[in-house]
Amino acid sequence: MTQIKYMLLISRQGKVRLQKWYVSLPNNEKTKIIRNLTSIVLSRKAKMCNIVEFGDHKVVYKRYASLYFVCGITQEVDNELLTLEVIHRFVETMDTYFGNVCELDIIFNFEKAYNILDDMLMCDGSLAESSKKEILNHVKTMDTMEHNDHLDRVLS
Amino acid sequence: MGSSLKSFIKDVRASKTLAEERSIIQKESAKIRTKLRDDHLPLEKRRKNIQKLLYLFILGEKTHFGQVECINLIASDEFVNKRLGYLAAMLLLDESQDLLTLLTNLLNNDLNHPNKFIVSLALTTLGFLSTLELARDLYPDVENILKTCKDPFLLKQALQCAAKLIAKDVSLLDIFSMEYISSIFENHAICTHSVLLGISKVLQSILLAYPGYLDLLREDGVELNGENHQILNDGIKFIPELLSRLQSLNVKSSQPDYDVKGICDPFLQCEIIYTLRLFFLLDVPEIDRFKNKFEDLLSQIATDTDGSKTSGQAILYETARTIFSLDLEQPLRILGINILAKFLSGRDNNVKYVALNTLLRVVPQEPTAVQRHRKFISRCLHDPDISIRMRALELTFAILDENSLVELVNELVKFLESASGDDKDLIIFTVDNLVETFEKFKVHDEKWKLDIFLKVLELVGSFITLEKLGDILIIINNTEDLQNKIYVVSKMLKVSLSNDQDSVIQIFDDNLGWKLVTIWCIGEYADLILLKNASEIINEESMTKYLLKLDSEYGTYDSKITQYVLTASLKLSSKIDNRKCIEDLRQIILNHTKDPNLMIQVKSVQYELIFSQPREIRKSILASMPIFERKVRTPDMDTQSNVHQKSKPVASNADLLLDLLGDMDSSSGQQQGKAPEMTLSSESTKPENSKPTDLLADIFSSNVNNFNGKAEPVGTSSSLEFKSTVTLPTNATKIYDGKALIVYSGDVTVENGSANFELYFEAKSSVTDLSCQSAVPKSQKLTMGSLYPSASVGHGQLSKQSMKVSGSGKLKLRVKLKYNSEGISNDEQFDHKFNEAL
Repeated sequence: MTQIKYMLLISRQGKVRLQKWYVSLPNNEKTKIIRNLTSIVLSRKAKMCNIVEFGDHKVVYKRYASLYFVCGITQEVDNELLTLEVIHRFVETMDTYFGNVCELDIIFNFEKAYNILDDMLMCDGSLAESSKKEILNHVKTMDTMEHNDHLDRVLS
Repeated sequence: MGSSLKSFIKDVRASKTLAEERSIIQKESAKIRTKLRDDHLPLEKRRKNIQKLLYLFILGEKTHFGQVECINLIASDEFVNKRLGYLAAMLLLDESQDLLTLLTNLLNNDLNHPNKFIVSLALTTLGFLSTLELARDLYPDVENILKTCKDPFLLKQALQCAAKLIAKDVSLLDIFSMEYISSIFENHAICTHSVLLGISKVLQSILLAYPGYLDLLREDGVELNGENHQILNDGIKFIPELLSRLQSLNVKSSQPDYDVKGICDPFLQCEIIYTLRLFFLLDVPEIDRFKNKFEDLLSQIATDTDGSKTSGQAILYETARTIFSLDLEQPLRILGINILAKFLSGRDNNVKYVALNTLLRVVPQEPTAVQRHRKFISRCLHDPDISIRMRALELTFAILDENSLVELVNELVKFLESASGDDKDLIIFTVDNLVETFEKFKVHDEKWKLDIFLKVLELVGSFITLEKLGDILIIINNTEDLQNKIYVVSKMLKVSLSNDQDSVIQIFDDNLGWKLVTIWCIGEYADLILLKNASEIINEESMTKYLLKLDSEYGTYDSKITQYVLTASLKLSSKIDNRKCIEDLRQIILNHTKDPNLMIQVKSVQYELIFSQPREIRKSILASMPIFERKVRTPDMDTQSNVHQKSKPVASNADLLLDLLGDMDSSSGQQQGKAPEMTLSSESTKPENSKPTDLLADIFSSNVNNFNGKAEPVGTSSSLEFKSTVTLPTNATKIYDGKALIVYSGDVTVENGSANFELYFEAKSSVTDLSCQSAVPKSQKLTMGSLYPSASVGHGQLSKQSMKVSGSGKLKLRVKLKYNSEGISNDEQFDHKFNEAL
C-alpha cells in the first residue's frame, strides 16, 4: 500500500538535491511537477499541514533542516500519515549512515542517498524494508565490496 | 584534479550567476558526451563520467546519451561497476524504453549470480524497470529464488519483484504458485517483517491483477468457485495467518529494529491491514467467515494502539479507512468516527487534515455520528491552516441538517467574522452554500435568518458574487412576515443612510454587495419603510441622497451599480412625494441617457419614458416584485454527489444508484423550473407595459436566464398542441410497463466507450409533469437531454428523452419516474439491463 509516485529532495533555495521517479513520466512532465511543487512547498508556512492536493494526486512533504522531502503519493492507496513516517525513516537512515546528515552530505554523496533509498523503496515505490539496521547493514556491506577490486575475494 | 565529480559539483555550486552555472553545466555535459563516445575509455573513467551524468540528472539536465553506457557498466564483472550501472539504469532509463531489452540477458545472468548482493541489485532493478517482455522472460528466475532461497534478504526483494511482475503481466497468475508463500509462512526463521511486507505485496498484486477483481467488487455475491478462482482460493488460506501476524504485531512492545516511537513496525501493520481490506472487499462466503475475527481485531487495534504519535495515528487512520471502505457493522463505524474525531481534537495538523477528509466522505454512512463531533469540526474553522479550514467548511455543510442548522450557521458566521481577504475562495464557498442551505431547510425563525444574511453582507459583502446577491435579494423579497421584512430593511437602511462613524456596524467602502442590496431595498421597499419606520435617518431625502451619492461615486465605472441605481431611482420616484427628491431622481436617470454604455443608455431612455407617465400608471408598472419561486441548481450539488459516491466505493449497486437518485432529486427542478411561469405571470398582469417590467426583472436575470434556455413550458395548453411529433421507432423495446406509462428504449448505439439511446414514454392515460431521473453504475457517466416535446403526454402519445452514457462496464440503468396522472401523483422506479456493454 505504500505506492509512492516520486521522491524529491528540494533545498530551501529551490534546488533539487535528489529525484527518484517510481512512475514513468515524460521529461517535460517531470520538470513541470518539480517546478510547480517547488513553489507550492516552499511557500507553505511552517504551521500548515504537510499534505497538499496536487493535480490528480496528493503530495506529502516534510522539512528537515534546509531540505524538503517531497513525496507524490497514490490517492486511496497510500496512507498520508504513514508516508510521513516513510520519509522520516529515510532521513533517520541517512542520518545514521552519514552521521548527522546535512544537505552537503547528500549533494556530494547522492549515490549513497540513492543506495539507501533503493533499499528502502522498491518497484512502484513500495516499502521493502522497515528496519533501519537491515538497510544500513546491506548498504555498508555493498560499500565494502566496492572497495575490493575483485569480486572473487569477497565471494568465498 | 579538475575532472572529479566532487570538483564538478563544487564548480556548479560556486557559480555566481545562473548564466555561469549553465555554461559550466553545458561544458561538462559536452565533455561527458565526447568521453563516453570513446570506445577505448577505461572503465574507471567511464564510471566517473556516469557519476557526473547522474549529477546532471539530479539537476534536471538531458542525460539520454548515457543510457547505453549504464548497460555497459552492468555488463562488467566488477561489483563497483555493476552497482553504479544498475543505479544509473534505474535513474536514466524508464519502463517505456526499448533499450530495456538489452538488459534481459544481463539481468538473467545476475539473477542467478552466486553473489547475493548482485542478485539483489538485479532484483531491485527488475522490480523498478519491468516491461511486459522482461516480466515474461525473467519471471522464472525470480520464481527460482522464491522456491529455493532461504535468505530473508533476497526473499523480500524477490517477493516485491514478483508482485511487480504479476502486475505487469497478468498471465503470470496462471503459473504463480501459492506454495512458495505457504512454505515461507511455515518457516519462521525466514519469515521476517520485510518478508511479510513482500508477501503482502504479492497478495495485493494477485488480488488486483486478478481478471475481473474489480468486476467482482461491483457484482454482489459472485461465487468464487471452479478452477478459475483457484489462485484466489489459495490466497484466502492465508487470511488467518495474516490476522494472527497482525494481532501479534499490534500487541508486541519493543523490538528496537522495528520500533517507531513506541509502535511496532507501523509500516507492516498498515500493509497487512490494507491487504486484508483488499480480501474482504470481495464479498464471498469463503472470506466472509473470517469477517468476525477481522472486525474483532480491528476494534482491538482501535482501542489498544497508542494514538499520541504519528506512527500510531497512521495505524488508527488505516483502521478507520478500512472500516468505512468495507462498510463494516455500525459499532465499528462509530469506533472509526471516534478515532477520527479524536484526531480533530489534537494539535497535529496532518492528522486533522486526514480526519476531516475522511469524515467528509463518511458523512453519508454515519451522519449522526459525525454530527456528534461538530464542536471539534467547528473549531477547525478557525485553524491557522487554510486547507484545514476549507475541509472543515465542507464538512460543516455536509453535516448540517434541520436540527443543527442554527448552531452551525452561527459557527459559520463566526468563521466569516474571522476570515480575511486570503480566504476569498472559502468565503465565496460559504456564502454559496449558506444560500443553498436556507433553500433546502425550512427555517422557522425568519427574523434570525434575515439577520444572518445581513450579517453576512456586512462581513463579506465585497466577496459575494452577483448571482448570490440576487439569491439574497430573493430571500428578502420572499419574506413571509411583513414585519420581518420591515425589520431587516430598516436595520440595513439605518446603517447605510446614517453618516455615523461610530455606529456598531461599519460598512467598508469596498463592500459593493451591501451597497447593491441597499439600493435595491430602497427602490423596492421605500414606501413600506417610510410608512412604518420613517425617522431622522430614514426618510425620503436620505434615500434620494444615498442614490445620488452612489451614482456619483460609481456612475462612470461600475455599470452594475449604475443599473441598480437607475432602477431604484425610478421605483423610488413613484413611492415618495417630495418634489425635489423626485426631480433629483429624474436627473440621475436623465444623466445616463447619453451613457457610453449601451445597456445603461437604453435603460435610462426607457426609464425616462416611464418617468413621464402619469403617476398612477407609473405606480402600477413599478409595483413591488412578486414572490419569487425558483429552484436553482448550484454547482455544489455536483461536489456533494461526488463525495457521496466516493465514500461508498463498494456499497452494493442498488445503493449507489439510490444515492445517485437522491442527489439528482435536488437538481431535477431544472426541468420543471417554475421561474418561467413567474415571468409569464408578471407579464400577464401588466400587459400594457411589459418591457420595463422585464427590465426590472433583470436584477434576477442571472437566475431567470438559466431557465429560459432549458426549461420546458410545463403544463401550459399551448405546448400540448404541437407535441405529438414523436413516433416509436421500429427497433424500440419495451422495458417497463407502469401504471400510466409504458417505457421503451430505442436507437441504442454504442461506440468508443459511450452509448446513446432514447427512452420513449407512452402514456396509457394522460400524464402531466413527467420527470424522469436516471442513474448508472459508478463506473459510468450519464448525460440526459430534456424531455421532448413536453413533460405532458396525452393519452396514447409519446414523449422521448435522449441519454448518453460513457464509461465502462455493462450498460444498465435505473429510472425513477414522477408524474401526475388523473390528478394523482405517481412515483415509479425500475431497473433495466441492456444487452449492450461499453
